[in-house]
Amino acid sequence: MRRRDFVKTLSATGVALYASDLVGELLAQSPKARVLESRFKGMSDIALTEAKRLGCSYADVRFTRNLSDSIGVRDRIVGGGGGGFGGGGREESAGFGVRVIHSGVWGFASSPFVTDDEVKKITAQATEVAKASAVSKRFEVRLAPTDSYIDYWSVPVEINPDTVSLDDKIGFLMKLNETALKQPDVMRVQSQIAFDFEWKYLATSEGSVIEQEIWRTFPSFSVTARKGNQIKQRTFVVPPKTGGYEIALEGQMLENVERIAAEAAEHCTAPPVGVGLKDLIMTPSHAMLTIHEIVAHATELDRIVGYEANYAGTSFVKISDLGKMKYGSKMFNVTADRTIEGGMCTVGYDDDGVKSQEWPLIREGILVGLQTNRETAHYIGEKESRGCTFATSWRNYPFLRMPNVHVDAGPPGSPTPEEIIADTKDGVLIDGRGSYSIDQQRFNGQFGGDAFWEVKNGKKVRMVSDVTYNAITTDFWANLDAVSGKESWQMFGTTGDAKGQPVQINHPSHGSPWLRIKRMMVGTAYS
Amino acid sequence: MSYSRDQVKQITDKVLNMCKADAVEVRFSGGERSATRFANSSITANLIEHDQEVSITVYYGQRSAAATTHQFDDASLKRTIERVQELARRKPENPELMMPVKPPQNYVEVDAVLPATANFGPAERAAMVKASTDICEKKGVLGAGYIPKLHWTDAIANSEGLFGYFRYAEASFILTCRTPDQTGSGWAGTTGVKDVRNIDAKMLTEIAADKGLRSRKPRAIEPGNYTVILEPRPAARFLSLMLGSLNARAAEEGRSFMSGKERGTTRIGEKVFGDNFTLRSEIGNPVLRQTPIGQDGLAAKSITWVEKGVVKNLFYDRYWAMRQKKEPTGTQPGMSLVMEGGTSTIDEMIKSTKRGLLVSFFWYIRGVDNQTLLNTGMTRDGLFLIENGEIVAPVQNFRWNESPAVGFNNITMLGRPVPMHTGEAYDNPGTAMVPPMKIEDFTMTSISPAV
Repeated sequence: MRRRDFVKTLSATGVALYASDLVGELLAQSPKARVLESRFKGMSDIALTEAKRLGCSYADVRFTRNLSDSIGVRDRIVGGGGGGFGGGGREESAGFGVRVIHSGVWGFASSPFVTDDEVKKITAQATEVAKASAVSKRFEVRLAPTDSYIDYWSVPVEINPDTVSLDDKIGFLMKLNETALKQPDVMRVQSQIAFDFEWKYLATSEGSVIEQEIWRTFPSFSVTARKGNQIKQRTFVVPPKTGGYEIALEGQMLENVERIAAEAAEHCTAPPVGVGLKDLIMTPSHAMLTIHEIVAHATELDRIVGYEANYAGTSFVKISDLGKMKYGSKMFNVTADRTIEGGMCTVGYDDDGVKSQEWPLIREGILVGLQTNRETAHYIGEKESRGCTFATSWRNYPFLRMPNVHVDAGPPGSPTPEEIIADTKDGVLIDGRGSYSIDQQRFNGQFGGDAFWEVKNGKKVRMVSDVTYNAITTDFWANLDAVSGKESWQMFGTTGDAKGQPVQINHPSHGSPWLRIKRMMVGTAYS
Repeated sequence: MSYSRDQVKQITDKVLNMCKADAVEVRFSGGERSATRFANSSITANLIEHDQEVSITVYYGQRSAAATTHQFDDASLKRTIERVQELARRKPENPELMMPVKPPQNYVEVDAVLPATANFGPAERAAMVKASTDICEKKGVLGAGYIPKLHWTDAIANSEGLFGYFRYAEASFILTCRTPDQTGSGWAGTTGVKDVRNIDAKMLTEIAADKGLRSRKPRAIEPGNYTVILEPRPAARFLSLMLGSLNARAAEEGRSFMSGKERGTTRIGEKVFGDNFTLRSEIGNPVLRQTPIGQDGLAAKSITWVEKGVVKNLFYDRYWAMRQKKEPTGTQPGMSLVMEGGTSTIDEMIKSTKRGLLVSFFWYIRGVDNQTLLNTGMTRDGLFLIENGEIVAPVQNFRWNESPAVGFNNITMLGRPVPMHTGEAYDNPGTAMVPPMKIEDFTMTSISPAV
């Protein structure tokens, strides 16, 4: 299967996707990238006019069309996938949500019926909800100012996943299955490619009209091996990104399947690491989740000020720590970024209509920034939002979600991964994501991984098993003593970041170089 | 927005008539999900979500595909059907595919819609918040809570003539009270209540606020093995950790804690848990009032999973049952779940404890080892040290590493079961009848000063 064969099919982009229901038909009737001529402009005006008539001090309406489509092949049997976006198979939905501020309080209502009458009705309902909420108001919503924009923005896509035939997707995954199942110890293989499409049209009472289209693609496979009574699974993840089917083709899945199957089998007989202090060498695919849990979540300002106290939790970080807290060693630099190419949270504008940006969270180990949106920026005295508002779909209310959060690569002259290994006397190399659990303030985390190797006297000696480590956030990052350069920096991510009530899902990317954390306690979970 | 049986049947009949395939299955779900959320004693989100969806599965021999749409006009349905028919024809045969369930299925009748709950609106939720936050203010704590309401309909229909319909309305009240100095936090809640009049927001606020105040400035104690008294919420979360192991296929394929010693066998008939651990699904339980529709539309029937520690049944899905020449179980392990309790009160459990911990909440539980059911998690929102039959001090939270396979062998006292959600979040059905429980030798592995 060659990439240029797919590129030829690009002329059909969007047609199949848009035409699947009446909302799609409205979209198809709207000229691409000319937002003021869209069929959704008129309906937006109805919502905004009605909100104004009802006395709302702010209103926005967001139409979205969401598609998650995954195809999976398990043991040569074609199924719905599910490893990635959505629950497996093809799920389509479209509708709109209206958000208003009345009496200083938010109100939100949403509906799948995209008609003029329904837009008016739902706007009135959102207003009623806000008015009802005012009875228990203790403070008023304050929005940081933003410029207004009229714009169209989309993710660059080389191969629209909807234009790739099902036969080709299945054929690709079937090859993976055949290769993995040839290995004698392999008892199960599960492979999938998951796609996520998001179209959204936002109009605000402050004059913004923004249309955006985003594709995300996430291919992966897992191999389960058995030796004696031991069963182990090994997973290969292609870095999930915004973009199209090209991400699967470039992901080197076939090239890695034999290695992954062999490692699954080897893991079955790998000896336990035991309990003790070891240097941890973390690959980017493993560091991703640790960054997500104990850096990215801890620096969400809504958590810090208590908005998530009943569910996701608060944070050990306090507002007064900004500019002062020693979060890690001097080598530790962390950047939030909604503009990086391929980042799953990369957008033109957030769901408040704020232009996306890049900004520092940690510099030389010191906490210097936080994640904000229009509603929370004032808590740290910032005049503008960092653009972190997101809602999973039309059905959900928008609120603060993390952007892409990266650990920066080391400067020129930083060690290569091989040099980090060569420089390690007694360590464990950890690849991929495993078990993870963190307290509600993101201070005590326990992490496993997908595969582990013992490193002795500068050499990767053998696979080991039963590895977990306990990370006390600031101690952990204070022990960071090696960071590889940009050549080995990779951006993995997670498609299941849950937060909010009702729970909503976010898909952030987390880039990282190879990292080494000195002298961490490993293996206690199994002791 | 609610959907009557006739309205739903019209929709499913329409789809069935429009499809051209060997067999068709249509699943409907729709209704209203509303919620009020508050933090720092003020409402931060109040919302009403309307939604409806049909998921259409078509079958051509052993080929099948499914697609969903949220728009029910003829044109949208037609396009969705055309797409799913095309997809199914292009898919390879699936040897594990099962044709739709045949009628009749005699569903247990469950009345799960009480008008007071169905009509529980944003103004009533806001009034409940005010009643709660007024108490918080008086007691000097900050309330953060969540009041979800679900008025929902699920239905299944197929070309064999099957039609199953279930509508329900339920609500919850969940509250965390934190002290302004951020050193104390307490939790209280009730979930999945079918009669909203049974939510006593004031009483729950009193409990959460008092816990928050009593948990201020916790001291650190050594990790190790402790006697723990799990209140119903952490007990429900701990119980949920063994439900996945009740899958017969994973057990017979050797991938599960319930796998027998010989390949292809299970632990049915084996005493795996303590004498006082009994778990069953009681379809039609008068408190839970949960769906009687089981896997693929099979009628769910009451079933005992574990009796006095002995594994009695595992869940056989339709394909695996056919392959193993068994009856499909129909009832999935999470349905109308009831864990048998005892007569002890939490006070009696405390009085009988020489040294132990009273646990209000478990958080962020994740699996560590699937074969042994080893899991890790944190305590949260109120952890108290008990010495010589009395609570003597709040203590810092612990990370624990423990397996229900061990814990449910070490239960020494049980209380009266109450409805409590077994999941991490509270949005979907998942409430079970769970008793508070006292467990010996629970493994706390490290401390966290997080409050």
